[in-house]
Amino acid sequence: MTRARSLRASWPQYLAISPFYLLFTVFLLGPTLFSLYLAFHRWDGIGEMQYVGLDQFRYLIDDGTFWLSVRNTLVIWVLSTVPMLFMALVLAALLNNTKRFVGFYRVALFIPNITSVVAIAIVFGALFANNSGLVNVTLQGLGLSGIPWLTDPWAIKVVIAMLMTWQWTGYNALIYLAGMQSVPSELYEAAKIDGAGPVRAFFSVTVPMLRPIILFTVVVSTITGMQSFTEPQVLFGNNSAVNANSGGPGQAGLTMVLYFYRTAFGQNDYGYGAAIAWAVFLIVMVFTILNWRLVQRRAD
Amino acid sequence: MALSRRNFLRYGTAGLAAVAVPGLAACTSSTATTGSTDAGKTALWYWGDGLSDKVVEAAKTQFAGQTTLEPTKVGGDFKQKLTTTLSSRQFVPDITGIKGEDMANFRANADQFADLNELGFKDLSSQYLEWKVKQATTADGKVIGFPIDIGPTGMFYREDVFAKAGLPTDPAAVSAQLSTWDAFYDAAVAAKSKVPGTFMVINAGAIFNLVIGQGTKRFIDESNTFIGDQPHVKAAWDLAVKAHTLGISGKTEDGSADWTAGISKGTLPSVIGAAWAGIDIRNNAADTSGKWRVAAAPGGPGNFGGSFLAITKQAKNPQVAFDIIKWILSPEKAAENFTDASLFPASPSTYTSAALTAGDDFFGGQKTIDIFGPAAQKIPIAYEAGADAAVSAPYFNQLGNVEQGKNADEAWAEAVKEAKQIGSRQGVK
Repeated sequence: MTRARSLRASWPQYLAISPFYLLFTVFLLGPTLFSLYLAFHRWDGIGEMQYVGLDQFRYLIDDGTFWLSVRNTLVIWVLSTVPMLFMALVLAALLNNTKRFVGFYRVALFIPNITSVVAIAIVFGALFANNSGLVNVTLQGLGLSGIPWLTDPWAIKVVIAMLMTWQWTGYNALIYLAGMQSVPSELYEAAKIDGAGPVRAFFSVTVPMLRPIILFTVVVSTITGMQSFTEPQVLFGNNSAVNANSGGPGQAGLTMVLYFYRTAFGQNDYGYGAAIAWAVFLIVMVFTILNWRLVQRRAD
Repeated sequence: MALSRRNFLRYGTAGLAAVAVPGLAACTSSTATTGSTDAGKTALWYWGDGLSDKVVEAAKTQFAGQTTLEPTKVGGDFKQKLTTTLSSRQFVPDITGIKGEDMANFRANADQFADLNELGFKDLSSQYLEWKVKQATTADGKVIGFPIDIGPTGMFYREDVFAKAGLPTDPAAVSAQLSTWDAFYDAAVAAKSKVPGTFMVINAGAIFNLVIGQGTKRFIDESNTFIGDQPHVKAAWDLAVKAHTLGISGKTEDGSADWTAGISKGTLPSVIGAAWAGIDIRNNAADTSGKWRVAAAPGGPGNFGGSFLAITKQAKNPQVAFDIIKWILSPEKAAENFTDASLFPASPSTYTSAALTAGDDFFGGQKTIDIFGPAAQKIPIAYEAGADAAVSAPYFNQLGNVEQGKNADEAWAEAVKEAKQIGSRQGVK
């Protein structure tokens, strides 16, 4: 009875939060459950669905291309996340000690994050073009040899990682900055009295105090990095109509989500696409738990 | 800002949703576009430059007495939006465009579309190219697509670079001398030695695609059996690999920054592609106007792209819909479609119209119909299965690997193995 009464009494609150849950159910939960159902079927998007049991997952285990996409994703993720978070931390520390033009710097740092990834990828594609790109022209001008950025399997990954780093460093820096500003100044004063210089204070005061925030950025970077899609899709996706979204030469830029997209929406193999999507989910979850454990333990 | 387990789970869920959902979420958005549910209205879906806007406007007035034609230009991934609307059976247009590369897939779902033969296409069929109609014909003889346009191939080349390389420059002479792939390769080797830095082949995969397109068999036959390991595919593969070993491949990609630079500077002096590729060249290398010519493609003509109009099963008045299509795509209107939207007609009788026989300044005044017209009528008929594009992908990937230094025999073995695997996943024997 009390429950019924509390429900009746607090309906405005429930009503207020309902839009999120309604939208969540229709646009997120529903499709998610449907994709699980799809993963056990073969479906071309229009015709009859055909139940195939665990066949899609059996294919997945034997599918060299899928494992290649997993390797690509992990390499790109490491290549982007490590320098991104390190540079973000350094930038935040610098910004924290800046007295003038603070607003300008903050806006400047955030601009890459709100710029369309598609636009960035197109600019990167032009900058890193093998023969005509600004980067190689500059390298050659300095007497060095150009690097086949968009054809060499490693260089492709580096370009994608650089793109992601460029886009997300400022965002993470601002999160770190917010954290740094909440570190009590007494701690710095105490450290100063104990004879710590700025570098020592950074590593002994700032970094430990920021640990929960670093954990947050690592987890978010894992989730976004593991799902990188737009970057390789735009850089290499529409190169060739006959083999679209292959991830570039050697499929070196084929990430897990790009492979999912190509399979489901390029090749009309929705069942297998759904199976890939769930595999991606499992992989992202495993890595997130690993990260969380790792960073959390050090914090204790 | 410590992260609790609850928060962690929430981020996990967000991650899940973001992984599983984008595609499906993207589908749902298409229902906002107009489809028709009213009788008396005929909804037409096409894409930008998929038909001449002027012809579509004229059709509105032409059929005003019978129906209200409501054309919608659907942007973004057209195939995806059509698939979604067909599978949801909501807001389905009466008439829809289908791109050539998606035809094989929609043909596998022919029960979603009206049989145009029953509506009167049978009597018109002879006005359109046979191989094109065949693409939209099911095994049991239903025609689900009315041909809009085609993409017969030819070789675009830079006359100035060919002159420097000591090759013939006149279209007729080029067509005659470079008629086979071997002759084309000889010319490419000669061009590279005379003018260093010149690559007449864009990449090995492009050659593979062209050669497959010049044949009568692809990767899957009519009985849904995998034939990607047979001599006709191996021959195309070997020819593609040869472009790499001869060093005449520029190893660049169509439409990339390097491709644009290549056609502008003349380091990529030949582009073998469909008639519409001329527009890409024109747009990307405007200041080379007058230097380009068109010759017949080495190894014979093939076809890239070209679309259809189809009538869905949900159409309220299929006969009116058919009459509209028949009018929009009549051989006379095809000339307007060509002028306004560069749609190369699928009706040979249009090739003699003034719109098509005019000389083109970009090609030094050449009448390009002299090349593309005969090519259009000689395109081989090949069966293309729904899974064909998916199954062919590994060959292109592996040719890319060969260009990066992988052993060609190993690459071939892997391509065949992967292609079989993809095929079996999609029900190919």
